[in-house]
Amino acid sequence: MSAGSHDGKPVRIGVDIGGTFTDFQILDSRSGQIRAFKVPTTPEDPSLGLMEGIHGAAARDGFRLDEVGYILHGTTIATNAVLENKLARGALVTTAGFEDVLEIGRHNRRDIYATWPRPVPALVPRSRRLGLRERMKADGHAEIEPGEADLEAIITRLAGLEVEAVAISLLHAYANPAHEARLAARIAQSLPGLAISCSSTVSPEIREYERTSTTVLNALLQPVVRSYLERLERRLAAEAFEPRLLIVQSNGGVCAPATAAAEPVRLLLSGPSGGAMAALGLSRTLGEANVVAVDMGGTSYDVSVVREDRLEIVTQSEIERLPVRVPMIDIRTIGAGGGSIARLGPDGGLRVGPESAGARPGPVCYGRGGTEPTVTDANLVLGRLDPAFFLGGKMALDLEGARAAIRSRVGTPLGLAEDAAAAGILRLTNTSLAAAIRVSLFEKGLDPRDFTLLSFGGAGSVHACAVAEELAIRRIVFPVDASTLSARGILEADIEHAFARSLIRRFEPAAGETLARLAAEMTAQAGAQLAADGIPPERRRTQLAIDLRYRGQAFELTVPCLDSGFDPAGIAAIAGRFHAQHEQRFSYCNPGDAVEMVTLRRAAKGLLPRPAAVESPAEAAGSPLGSRPVYLADRWGEAAVWRRESIGPGLEIAGPAMIEEAYTTIYLAPAWRLRRAAGGHLVADYQGEGG
Amino acid sequence: MAASGTIDPIELEVIRNALTAAAADMDVTMWRTSRSTIVREMLDYSTAIFDAAGNNIAQSARIPQHLNSMGYGLRAILERFIPAGEWQDGDVIITNDPYCGGQHLPDILSFRPVFEAGRCIAIVGTLCHHLDMGGMSPGSYAATATEIYQEGLRIPPVKLFEAGRRNEALWALIGQNVRQPATVMGDLQSQVASLGVGVEAITRLARRYGGDTLQKAAARLLDLSEAAMRDCIRRIPDGTYTFEDFLDDDGITPDRPVRIHAAITVAGDRLVVDLSGSAPEAAGPINATLGSSSSAVYFAIMAAADRPIVPNAGCYRPIEIIAPEGLIISARHPAPVAHRIAPCHVLLNVVFGALSQAIPDRMPAAYYAVSYVCSFQTRAKDGTRKVLVEIEVGGCGAHPRGDGANALSFGMHNNAAIPIEMIESDVPVTYLGYALAPGSGGAGRQRGGLGLTRIWRIDSEAATFTAQMDRFRFTPFGLQGGGAGAAGRLTLTRDGALQDLPSKVANMPLRKGDIVQLVTSGGGGFGPVAERDPAAIAHDREEGYVLDR
Repeated sequence: MSAGSHDGKPVRIGVDIGGTFTDFQILDSRSGQIRAFKVPTTPEDPSLGLMEGIHGAAARDGFRLDEVGYILHGTTIATNAVLENKLARGALVTTAGFEDVLEIGRHNRRDIYATWPRPVPALVPRSRRLGLRERMKADGHAEIEPGEADLEAIITRLAGLEVEAVAISLLHAYANPAHEARLAARIAQSLPGLAISCSSTVSPEIREYERTSTTVLNALLQPVVRSYLERLERRLAAEAFEPRLLIVQSNGGVCAPATAAAEPVRLLLSGPSGGAMAALGLSRTLGEANVVAVDMGGTSYDVSVVREDRLEIVTQSEIERLPVRVPMIDIRTIGAGGGSIARLGPDGGLRVGPESAGARPGPVCYGRGGTEPTVTDANLVLGRLDPAFFLGGKMALDLEGARAAIRSRVGTPLGLAEDAAAAGILRLTNTSLAAAIRVSLFEKGLDPRDFTLLSFGGAGSVHACAVAEELAIRRIVFPVDASTLSARGILEADIEHAFARSLIRRFEPAAGETLARLAAEMTAQAGAQLAADGIPPERRRTQLAIDLRYRGQAFELTVPCLDSGFDPAGIAAIAGRFHAQHEQRFSYCNPGDAVEMVTLRRAAKGLLPRPAAVESPAEAAGSPLGSRPVYLADRWGEAAVWRRESIGPGLEIAGPAMIEEAYTTIYLAPAWRLRRAAGGHLVADYQGEGG
Repeated sequence: MAASGTIDPIELEVIRNALTAAAADMDVTMWRTSRSTIVREMLDYSTAIFDAAGNNIAQSARIPQHLNSMGYGLRAILERFIPAGEWQDGDVIITNDPYCGGQHLPDILSFRPVFEAGRCIAIVGTLCHHLDMGGMSPGSYAATATEIYQEGLRIPPVKLFEAGRRNEALWALIGQNVRQPATVMGDLQSQVASLGVGVEAITRLARRYGGDTLQKAAARLLDLSEAAMRDCIRRIPDGTYTFEDFLDDDGITPDRPVRIHAAITVAGDRLVVDLSGSAPEAAGPINATLGSSSSAVYFAIMAAADRPIVPNAGCYRPIEIIAPEGLIISARHPAPVAHRIAPCHVLLNVVFGALSQAIPDRMPAAYYAVSYVCSFQTRAKDGTRKVLVEIEVGGCGAHPRGDGANALSFGMHNNAAIPIEMIESDVPVTYLGYALAPGSGGAGRQRGGLGLTRIWRIDSEAATFTAQMDRFRFTPFGLQGGGAGAAGRLTLTRDGALQDLPSKVANMPLRKGDIVQLVTSGGGGFGPVAERDPAAIAHDREEGYVLDR
């Protein structure tokens, strides 16, 4: 189906399926309005909740299903399959003699004091790891060609293993994929129906363990993701609903369902990418060049950084300690959220998290059987949450239960009053949130004081002022629809593909011809892919970048080629950018040293048509709903209570104040002043001394 | 025990977290600004915060060998070389001398005091393994050294910065004595930058909470860890437990095993580790000073704790180490110490072995206990040279709760493997295999982890090969009737003929086409093999973890 038939339709939907809620953002180009919607997630079949939500939103907002042009869909189906170990049964073919690379890994350990260290699990057991007699060298020439009998032997063994998927990862296949391609063709011919993943397709980059791990994950996810997408497409078809469906990837872009089914590893770390994308969009809207965005939900705190109008993309990350080499937005996650449990450690000291009460049983105040006090309970006890207005009043909170739990499990053992104990839980939480932000910036050589804090997620905005003060950050942005911001980022996504080719050699004019050839091949590859996606040439954008390092270094920096070609002047210009980038990131550079190239990368973007949204009409300056007692840093005080929608332009609110909205609450601490900015976002500035 | 006044329990936890975060900020700064692959890929450095008396109060989790030795070095400096009264604001004090509190010459310790209102309230420190410190061999790992003078430049405790002013003469002196000075001096600069970040973080805390509160909190944190450690020791039955193991040889005198012996006495909440039964100093560079070996003892006992403890110097207080001078684990000047990690690996196993008699339900059998260091220098026809240094690992000991891990860094080191594709892109060698070594795990109710095999083929015109290994003769022991892990083995295949090599090889010439094969030892087994679950036996066969008999 071509993209064109969908482009004229007025409604676009961004949907983010999380563990607890399925969040929607719906843009209707006729009104120019973007509206949020939320339904509970249906874990047994997430597509069910997705469809229910769309019906619900259509009924509320008055659009018809045939007016929906695009559905941009963020899903944790791949992530959850790995976390819950619900992967397909698969096999792995490697170069003979290297079958155990997957199990040996890089052989360093995490928990250094453990007397019984648990290694990273090998997802394909030794008995299903097969060695092919072949050998490719680093320069792409074959030292040993696999014979027909060798290929046949692999087919025979594979046939006996009763597997649904096979990963093929041969040494140096990034340099020459010929052996992998031959084996894949033979398998496809002899064992049709078996899902095949080749390392030279999934992750054609150097470093055998990381490439093999990525390829194996891809293979074992293929059957899982394919069946989910088929189910979803059947569900849409059953209602004669034919929007263009696109799936969110870890780098914040989207891809066609067929691409997602063939390379499901692209989705693996996509969960937090929507929020980061939204942060980028907001930094542009608000003219804030440096933004550190934090997404705090029930169990985790994700930190991403927008600097000088861009998000940092990393080329490798991990899940369950398994390396995954796909481009993803650089996000640091710590286990701290509203559900984080406060309890006493073995030495009698108070600890908060990383254990979480999750959604079930959840905090004590949810009244679902939770007995250990959580961060949410502490916020409730201190008046930072309104027991009658949680989730916009849809869920009553058990204040007395929360108080009793904090008293008995924290206050009494530590000799603290109930409110002091609750304040202690929050203080510990806020300092660890601040520490996560500080280290995220430090590792990039950045100073928190140069940043604006963007706070979103359901649980983040009651902590934002304290976290900012801890870091001497003087401005906080509380965006519109903070609890569905991730879906908002998804709504603005474009189609993206990433192509990579590794080739280690000196980065010098003599390499120009080879580089130009590789770049041209990748351009053709990108063009073909975007054409298959139905993107016309005028909406295609590609960018070339190259991973460079000083000779002898074991890590690389990705340097954009911009408009430099691979003639001697262009190569000199790119090398110059490498030195400068190295200086910025690592505080030194060696312009006299030899520079080596490792991987050439082509990012290809297909711009989706973007209907313009308009700002909702500004309402007149409003007034507070009333006030309630709120525990400030060390004493109770009275804070004005506002509904967010009643904060009109021109109004300035001084802390302490509580600002309530349906799925989140802002606690504006003393010394902060808040106003409504462009787009309805709220901006708070620190009025205190220091910083 | 340090006196500790009252402190708000929440404030204490906030400060505890902030101190750990400060060590982590220092860690990230060190990593970000350093130049060598030793720091960047092998992560061979550590950062820590100390109280003004030199007690470790917070640390970043990196290398076990470093973690519990930095305080030892700092206290040696304070007590014997530069007393507290001579430390000024803005000083950076360094040493690499094993006989002044250091480990071995490539490791430079650096410290900087934190001043508040004119007095020192804390000291921040880093330890970095440098690429080279001079001496007779690249990397300052001289396999045939018989005295420390051959191992490289010794820096006694001196001021690299004095009240903020750079000691240019010292920088120049170091730069003149090391191979690849740009890298070494760059990493030293990173240590200075990391200390600066640490000072900032502690100063921020002092401004917020006051120097007095900070010091009170530090004292309280030490007391809490001490109490937790004493609780753990109290749960170990009283008694004296002895154990011993041997290093194969010292590389200078063949066929003379080197004994490592420990007698551990548990009495209530105290624990005495007597190492007097260990062998005298060796001629070759496998000696450790007490700073190194006490780190192995502390690490072993902290790892043996049955509840999570917060690692800091308070954990050391209930532990007494007895070690007369002049032994392999308490070497005296001028004994060579480049491979001081070798006796520390074995000492860790010995302490575990002794403790297993008291707490058999939670101590593992022996791990491979050696850093398998192999280095190749290839030489092409045109004279181009390439250097390749690799450190391999073996199998972990079986644990009462389950089989030992296969091929995983354990014990005193924690290094990562270098990707084969990266090496083959740079160095003229071809790998013929990298695999687990079936059958190498010690048999038992719980099986020892498997060692591994790594095979190199030399593609250059010529090469030289150096190896510093062990466990070819004395194998990782089993416990409670479990079998020992298989011995390691190093072979050379030339023109189709295979020959065994010794565990220590210095500058052996190799030719094009030569094949070097390393098989590392597996871990020891636990419990009688007759009691092994039949399903586990079937699984081992199916997965090829054991050899068919």
